[in-house]
Amino acid sequence: MDDAELAQAAARGDSDAFGGLIDRHGMAARRAARAILRDDDDADDAVQEGMLAAWRAIDRYDVARPFRPWLMRIVVNAALDARRRGRVRHAEPIAETLESGGLGPDRMAEASLLRARIDAGLAELPERQRIALVLFDAEGWGHAEIAATLGVPEGTVRSYVFHARRAMRRALGTLAEGMK
Amino acid sequence: MTQSPFNAEHDPELGALLRERLGGPAPEQFLRRLRAAVVAAPRADQWDVLDAWSRPRVMALAIAAGLLLWLGAWFENGQPAVDPGVMVASLPTHAVVSSQTPAVDEIMAALRDRP
Repeated sequence: MDDAELAQAAARGDSDAFGGLIDRHGMAARRAARAILRDDDDADDAVQEGMLAAWRAIDRYDVARPFRPWLMRIVVNAALDARRRGRVRHAEPIAETLESGGLGPDRMAEASLLRARIDAGLAELPERQRIALVLFDAEGWGHAEIAATLGVPEGTVRSYVFHARRAMRRALGTLAEGMK
Repeated sequence: MTQSPFNAEHDPELGALLRERLGGPAPEQFLRRLRAAVVAAPRADQWDVLDAWSRPRVMALAIAAGLLLWLGAWFENGQPAVDPGVMVASLPTHAVVSSQTPAVDEIMAALRDRP
């Protein structure tokens, strides 16, 4: 079943169908929320809030339109709203998730430095550039879908991605090439 | 970062770094939590939606109706009570007692000057 079919089933009250949509898009939503809030618990709460809002509003989803931007827009708004309302618990750095198993001390230090640089690079970016970059490069979305999510023209998304990449390039330097 | 920022293609290397960094711990557990939250929060049925939609509108209609009634009462009280006796008395004396028909101008002037 594709997204639209699952959404239609969910609109008829099938929570398992909505669960299928969560399985497909939950992690992308989490990464986008973490790019905005940069705290595990706040981001997860925002995603849950967004998913529940989407579940309650699923019968208003227009199946003629792509599902992903509709859902992501709700989740992104929930995260932005959480941030605006100052519900962010604290500014702890994101937990270390980059795989470092099997690396020697030098490589582990390099991995740690890479994490710090990714964090610093993301922190420098304006919110919308950060979201656009994550959806484009991490999630592989097209400009049109990101534009629909952010409610801006496609050209603006291209500009966001361009500036975000340039900033990340500056932040990461040559470090990233040595990691893979 | 293997690609120029100008490139419109996805950058797999940067994408992988971002996915790893932003992925968060225990993804399966996180997705289970989301699914459980959805199951525990049944969707509002159509009557709940209609109820939620109509309540503010019913309130707005009630307020508008109240305002109109109040305005109506206010205008009603602002108008002087019409008493036929006063209307006759407001005419010039000669118009009442004279055997001649009063001029139209005099009647109009009397009506206009009525308190």
